[in-house]
Amino acid sequence: MGELILKNINIRYGGEPVVRDFNLEVRNGEMVSLLGPSGAGKTTVLKAVAGLIRPERGEILIDGYSVQDLPPEKRDAVMVFQKPLLFPFMNVMQNVGFGLRMRGEPVREARQRIQEILALTQLGGLEYRKVHELSGGQQQRVSLARALVLKPAILLLDEPLSNLDANLRQQMRELIQEIQAQTRITTLFVTHDQAEALMISHRVSLLLNGRLRQVGKPRELFYRPADPEVARFFGARNFIQGRVKDGWFQSEFGTFQVPQGFTANGDWLTATIRPEDLRVSPDSQFEIQGEIQKINFEGSATRIWVRCRTTEFVVLTSEADFFPGQNVRIHLPPDKIRIFPPDSKEFEKIEEI
Amino acid sequence: MTVKSENSGVDARTRPVPGGWVLVRLMGPALTIVAVLFGGGLTLGLLQSLGHLPAAGAGVLTVKHFVAILGDPDFLHSLLLTLYIAATSTVVAAGISVVMALILIGLAPRNRVVHFIFQIPLTVPHLVIAAAVAFMLSPTGLCSRVVLKLGLISSSADFPLLINDRWGIGIMLAYVWKEIPFITLMILAVLRHTGMELLEVGQTLKAGRWQRLRYIILPTIFPSLAAASLIVFAYTFGAFEVPFLLGQTYPMMLPVWAYKNYSDVDLLARPEGIATGMLIALVVAIAIVLAQGLSQAARRRGIVL
Repeated sequence: MGELILKNINIRYGGEPVVRDFNLEVRNGEMVSLLGPSGAGKTTVLKAVAGLIRPERGEILIDGYSVQDLPPEKRDAVMVFQKPLLFPFMNVMQNVGFGLRMRGEPVREARQRIQEILALTQLGGLEYRKVHELSGGQQQRVSLARALVLKPAILLLDEPLSNLDANLRQQMRELIQEIQAQTRITTLFVTHDQAEALMISHRVSLLLNGRLRQVGKPRELFYRPADPEVARFFGARNFIQGRVKDGWFQSEFGTFQVPQGFTANGDWLTATIRPEDLRVSPDSQFEIQGEIQKINFEGSATRIWVRCRTTEFVVLTSEADFFPGQNVRIHLPPDKIRIFPPDSKEFEKIEEI
Repeated sequence: MTVKSENSGVDARTRPVPGGWVLVRLMGPALTIVAVLFGGGLTLGLLQSLGHLPAAGAGVLTVKHFVAILGDPDFLHSLLLTLYIAATSTVVAAGISVVMALILIGLAPRNRVVHFIFQIPLTVPHLVIAAAVAFMLSPTGLCSRVVLKLGLISSSADFPLLINDRWGIGIMLAYVWKEIPFITLMILAVLRHTGMELLEVGQTLKAGRWQRLRYIILPTIFPSLAAASLIVFAYTFGAFEVPFLLGQTYPMMLPVWAYKNYSDVDLLARPEGIATGMLIALVVAIAIVLAQGLSQAARRRGIVL
């Protein structure tokens, strides 16, 4: 059992607000990613849940009980840090069993539990190894095992994969997913890597400049971003402005039907289309004419910057036979256009990022 | 577009270490000065301790001076007193330093005033501290006068003997005062680098306040605490000026005893003084080697000192 509720959390560092009006609910057995760029306040939120930072305002509930006034050691939440931070004067088994020892668990039960966790984290046979003799991936697994052994209600993972190389990262990500699915432990996973967040979690919460901007399933955030800033974070680069008239979004690049529920009429709104959804062709089959400004070959795809009148579109295509200065035509498939609701952030704000 | 050379991205930590000969050439000038001044003096001292004293007509090398001092009860008394004072002042300074480090680490990192005040004794020479202790604690010193003024004693003769005393209290106070900042700063460096992070880990792993002290702080700071304590012990064991000013006339601490013999009008007493100095140097060298060993063992385990 583990349910985490964060209500209206506000945190300051040296007088400066770091996290503002943060609300989040992590349901029992769920894995939620807290995604955001560096300095967004992700680790601060995690530390507040762990009890290492006291919020200025707000309430933190674990399993329905407020833990606001409890010290970290009394909270049913364990944190795994970005660095493994193993105790260098202990071997693997002593590190993993540290929490059990602090809780005064009987030695026999503790040993059995440690063995189970070592097997789960694929560390069997390394019990008596000194921590400086382990690889980076093994050290991070020990760190994870050290937290899991306590069977906490809430597991807090603070970018545990960021110090690992690409291969180890993938392995460790799969291991975390597997363990989470097996143990059903409620997990809050901090990362700045959007791909990682989308892959690993049941739901993703995006934190930008200390504010929670959107919470939802990975596909929702990727395909239905709440506002242009969220869209930009997930790689959207093409924004167009238009005016809503009689249920249609009218822009210089075409007219698109406004989703149901939009009450705006006559308002200027912003729409976006992902680079991979734009179509480009050297032939005249598409309606918008443009000129290629720049090309970046990225292996499986090619990124092309196309200037169409005063707007520059970024297109991601699998075709590689384009060249700078070439005249091309592009097409914006209507079903791929995402028009932001009137109450979303204004377009001008995006440029500040 | 800037072209990066293959070596331009090499991290300083991964840069290859220069080979043996390159190192010798680079460090040669400094090593030569150290070898001539320090090594030469040590060799000359060793020769004199072995009886090579042409000015006094003694040229044959012998260990009889070592045998003589080792059999001398005065030497034994001095050795015991020196060990007692060096060990006690080191243990007291180390204990206070741990408490001080824990207090300082809890203060805001930007509290530079506290850190500055704390570091002042580091810059003051031992001689000045010894003079200050004498000024404060002598029977006619500042403390005695204050206590007399308060009516707690009837005359300055009633003030307890705290300098030139048989228990070496004045010497130990001078050393404790002087060495606390050194040991504290060594511990603080470790606590700041890894200790605070490990403490946070410990907190989330359900360790209470005393458990964190017992199972995290003390093992983390132990290598640097032990290394710093060994260095302090080595210094207090071999230092001359503080016991010379604040010590009693019998038994003397070993460095004073060595000096007394060395400066004796009888030139034939000089080898015994030098032999005492050689034994002091041996103890100091052992302590330094142990401190180095501890530091290296800790570094191998990933503890930054």
